[in-house]
Amino acid sequence: MRRADSPRLVAYAGLAAVGLVAGLAAGRVELVALAAPFALAAALGASLAREPRIAGRLTLDRERALEGEDVQATLELRGTGDAARIDVVLPLPDELVAKGGGNPVAIPAGTDRVELRLGCARWGAFRVGPALVRAHDALAFHTWEADVGVMQPLRVYPSVETMRALLEPLETQVYVGNQVARTRGDGIEFADIREWTPGDRLRRVNWRASARRGDLWVNEQHPERNTDIVLFLDTFTDVSLGHRGTLDLTVRAAASLAHRYLQRKDRVGVVSFGGFLSWLLPASGTKQLYRIVDSLLQMGIVLSFAAKNIDILPPRTLPPRALVLALTPLLDSRSTAALVALRARGFDLVVVEISPLPFVEPKRDELADLSYRLWSLSRDAQRAQYERAGIPIVPWTEGEALDAVLEEVRAYRRHARPARA
Amino acid sequence: MLAWSCLLAPDFTPVTLFLGGVGGLLLGLVLVRGLDDLLGSALLLVSACYVVGLFVGRHPLDEAAPLVGAALLLCSELATWSLEERRPVTTSRALRLARARAIGLLVLAGLVAAALVLATATTSLGGGLAWAVLGAAAAVAVVAVTARLATSR
Repeated sequence: MRRADSPRLVAYAGLAAVGLVAGLAAGRVELVALAAPFALAAALGASLAREPRIAGRLTLDRERALEGEDVQATLELRGTGDAARIDVVLPLPDELVAKGGGNPVAIPAGTDRVELRLGCARWGAFRVGPALVRAHDALAFHTWEADVGVMQPLRVYPSVETMRALLEPLETQVYVGNQVARTRGDGIEFADIREWTPGDRLRRVNWRASARRGDLWVNEQHPERNTDIVLFLDTFTDVSLGHRGTLDLTVRAAASLAHRYLQRKDRVGVVSFGGFLSWLLPASGTKQLYRIVDSLLQMGIVLSFAAKNIDILPPRTLPPRALVLALTPLLDSRSTAALVALRARGFDLVVVEISPLPFVEPKRDELADLSYRLWSLSRDAQRAQYERAGIPIVPWTEGEALDAVLEEVRAYRRHARPARA
Repeated sequence: MLAWSCLLAPDFTPVTLFLGGVGGLLLGLVLVRGLDDLLGSALLLVSACYVVGLFVGRHPLDEAAPLVGAALLLCSELATWSLEERRPVTTSRALRLARARAIGLLVLAGLVAAALVLATATTSLGGGLAWAVLGAAAAVAVVAVTARLATSR
């Protein structure tokens, strides 16, 4: 343990020495009497310097939590009997809040357990601990500090928005899923009837139509297939105000979308296109959801001025016939160019514009106003680029339901279908 | 204490007040700015104010010296405690009471030690000041040994 002595201990010893020497020199007993309490305090302080052997273990009741939930941190201590008072503090990131105000807390000698309720205020991957303990003697002449416990990982997942309906990709994949395919085959949804051909099963014969037409006719169905969704996240730059910002909204939207699409057995992949490129190949299932959310938690802005285009992505990250859902704040033209290139390659693409406007406070002077207007114009130009390429783009602002935004795209796609080259 | 020093030497009140004032100012700085390193200097200056009164006043023996010493120690302990309490640490009432008890005991022991010194010096044992210093050292040593024994149990 690291020991620190109170500066007043030295002051007391000095005063005692000065008083005793001055008393001897001047022959005044009052000076000795004046110094005696300080001499006693210094002697007592020296005698109290006994190092406590505090050790312990830090545990969290779980490693994963949802935003807004509480996590219990427990610090089990040993060897606290040697100190008169022990201050315990658990260093926490800003996103975790100690509820009940018990951090830091002073505990009396002999306490062997400290419990702390941590409120998960915001998503992220955090490290909790080690706890810092500071032991004091009865008069706080000496303190001993030590780290107790080892670092505990805690992943706080963003809360998932409730979404009633999702965007349907234009084309389905070959695996079984919940999406009714446009093609015909074995399924539940009735598609059409056609004349019987050798090899058709008997149970597919439509007897009523056959009786009316005097020939055998069979039913055709739309098969239920899965779809591939690629969440394309623009992480070139971020506009934020405190903890809120475009990256925060991007992560929240991506987590909600991934959760809902995976729930209906679709395959979901993630591409983080920014200064640091990362991707997750499309897959389905709960494991994929954890993989995606874990990768979202690690996401950050890495400033880079390197020119990047879509060719640097591995081919399997963007499977054919996948719906690419891009989440972009329209702040970097490189992502616009990449997305327009994707559309040119025939990908089914929808862009959700994460509006940075709520996080920008324009200053009230002429120059700031001019630069704000120029910035708005450059964003409009990027938006126009998407519109010219026939890419549906919808703005999404903080507080607005993502469901409502996607409904707008759904309505658009009912009337405007992308042309295939 | 300042008033007592002024009473000891009425002719040197400005000097006493100056020293005491500077000491008080330093103590104020310690409390307001949390500069606990200045605590020793503040105590020294306030003691100096008393010492001036003691020497200039030409009193053969000031019986209030143990009280002055204990009061200075109490002032210092309370100032330190006050600084510690400013830390945002959740403290229980029992811990506060324990600290108050410890400070009270320390000051009381200091007062007893100082009174013992004064009593020893005034008793005609044929020694005088040397005996007083020896007595004080013995008193301190006894208390220290007791404390050491008490904590090592």
